[in-house]
Amino acid sequence: MSRRPRHPWLRPAANIGLIAVLLIALSFLPPDNSLAEVQENGVLKLCVPESYPPLVQADEDSPGFDVELAGLIAQEIGVRLVVNVMPSIGRDFNPRNWRLTRGQCNIIAGGVADTVQTQGFLQTLPTLAETGWVGISLDGSLPARGSSWAVWPGTSGLDRLALSRWLRENDVKARLVSSPTELRALLDRGEIDGAITERFAASATGIDNGKYQVFWLPPESFERFRMALGLWKGDQTLYRAVRAALKKLDYKVKNIGSEYGLVYNFRVTSEQLAAKNFTCGLALTT
Amino acid sequence: MNEAIGAVRGVYGVWLREITRATRDRGQMIGGVSRPIIWLLILGVGLNPYFRGEVYGQVAYVVPYTYLQFLFPAVIVLNIMYTSIQFAVSMIWDREFGFLREVLVSPMPRSLILLGKVLGGATVATTHGGLVLLLARFADVTLSFGEMAAALGFMFLLAFGLTSFGIILAARVRSFEGFGVFSNTLILPLYFASSSIFPLDPSLTRTQAVTSYPEWLVFLTRANPMTYAVDALRGILIDFNQFPTVLGPAIVLGMAVIFFVIALIDFNRT
Repeated sequence: MSRRPRHPWLRPAANIGLIAVLLIALSFLPPDNSLAEVQENGVLKLCVPESYPPLVQADEDSPGFDVELAGLIAQEIGVRLVVNVMPSIGRDFNPRNWRLTRGQCNIIAGGVADTVQTQGFLQTLPTLAETGWVGISLDGSLPARGSSWAVWPGTSGLDRLALSRWLRENDVKARLVSSPTELRALLDRGEIDGAITERFAASATGIDNGKYQVFWLPPESFERFRMALGLWKGDQTLYRAVRAALKKLDYKVKNIGSEYGLVYNFRVTSEQLAAKNFTCGLALTT
Repeated sequence: MNEAIGAVRGVYGVWLREITRATRDRGQMIGGVSRPIIWLLILGVGLNPYFRGEVYGQVAYVVPYTYLQFLFPAVIVLNIMYTSIQFAVSMIWDREFGFLREVLVSPMPRSLILLGKVLGGATVATTHGGLVLLLARFADVTLSFGEMAAALGFMFLLAFGLTSFGIILAARVRSFEGFGVFSNTLILPLYFASSSIFPLDPSLTRTQAVTSYPEWLVFLTRANPMTYAVDALRGILIDFNQFPTVLGPAIVLGMAVIFFVIALIDFNRT
């Protein structure tokens, strides 16, 4: 007569344990060569537009938040940063026409918003900067019905359809402009009641901050997004390395962010909440 | 009260037997490991370059995740499908070697015997699905405890329905060999036609899908309940649903109830 084993669960448990160890070990295999290639070439290629202040600036001493951030990441990975300025970025609404290729860039920055639309094409790593639609006007008030506002959509991929719907619903006459310079000129000449653009595109207009107020459009109508570094889909190992570097550099990143004026809180004051007035309420406070 | 305790102990006994047998079956264990390795590590990595972008703004499918992330929930469903449906072999085994007869003459109601068996099969299948979760790091799928619990709960529900389905099949197939062929001809088409390894439909509108794929294939995908199971698990694990969020769990719950009732009717005829 066979004896019942003292620990009947021991063998099955050992089998399951062995399988678990095997699978966990396998999960550490690299799924691609993207990081290995960057390390082998000793270069991390960053593609940016010509100017997108304060994320990308044409100033050697102060090249912009995204460029400095990428420099730190490259240092952390142990390679040199090469910045490829791509004048094509932003020249067209469709990013396909910018012709940015895997060969030219490992990372795309300077105007990449962390939206679902962007995530369809790139893997994104959000940074400190936040973006969304903003209004620019003399008194910081929302467009009144029948008023005329200039619109410059910028390049970050915010939802233009939602903006156009909102303008129609509020009976605002929208005047589409093709550059920040045109937008500023219209404002200065008083030909329009105000302007709507993307947050960082607003800083590119160079408007007089003492004269105009910049404010978020109503949060119940428009979502705000973090800006991001964009990496190619499928470059998992590089993505992981950049993510790990960002985590490690957290403190330094915040310091750079405050140097570029990005560590802000946008808040609605209680009085404005009570008055349901989000226009001036979304004041920029440090 | 004593009757209830007796019923629970009876269900537990049947469940425990199934678990013990499954954990001692090395072949089944190896299958549970080799499938995720083949599908995720080899096929996933192999096809990755064909799904990534080479030019910004231009990818084959505009979906907010990578190919490995897309494949990951489907491999879990595949592991559950295989284990659950193949579990019915134990029914044929029990029938062939007389164990089933011994159990059926016990005072325990047949519904509880079946419940114990289905729960046992579902537990084993959920464990096999859970093993794939250990590869989450490889696929870059980040999971919170809540998401993990929700995924395991959903996997158990799916495994329960599919194990019941396996038992329905076992009632109609009399031999081991016949069941093996039958289950393979069923599992693989169901798996391939569920938007599992390439996006037959996800994120595309119906018009676009019909443009990309023939109408009959889109119809098959939409008619296949496994499509909704994969979609629901994608919703839990990578936060992406092609269909309404409640649809997947509702269809899987419906499958579990309907298949268990049919399996019970068949089992009562045994």
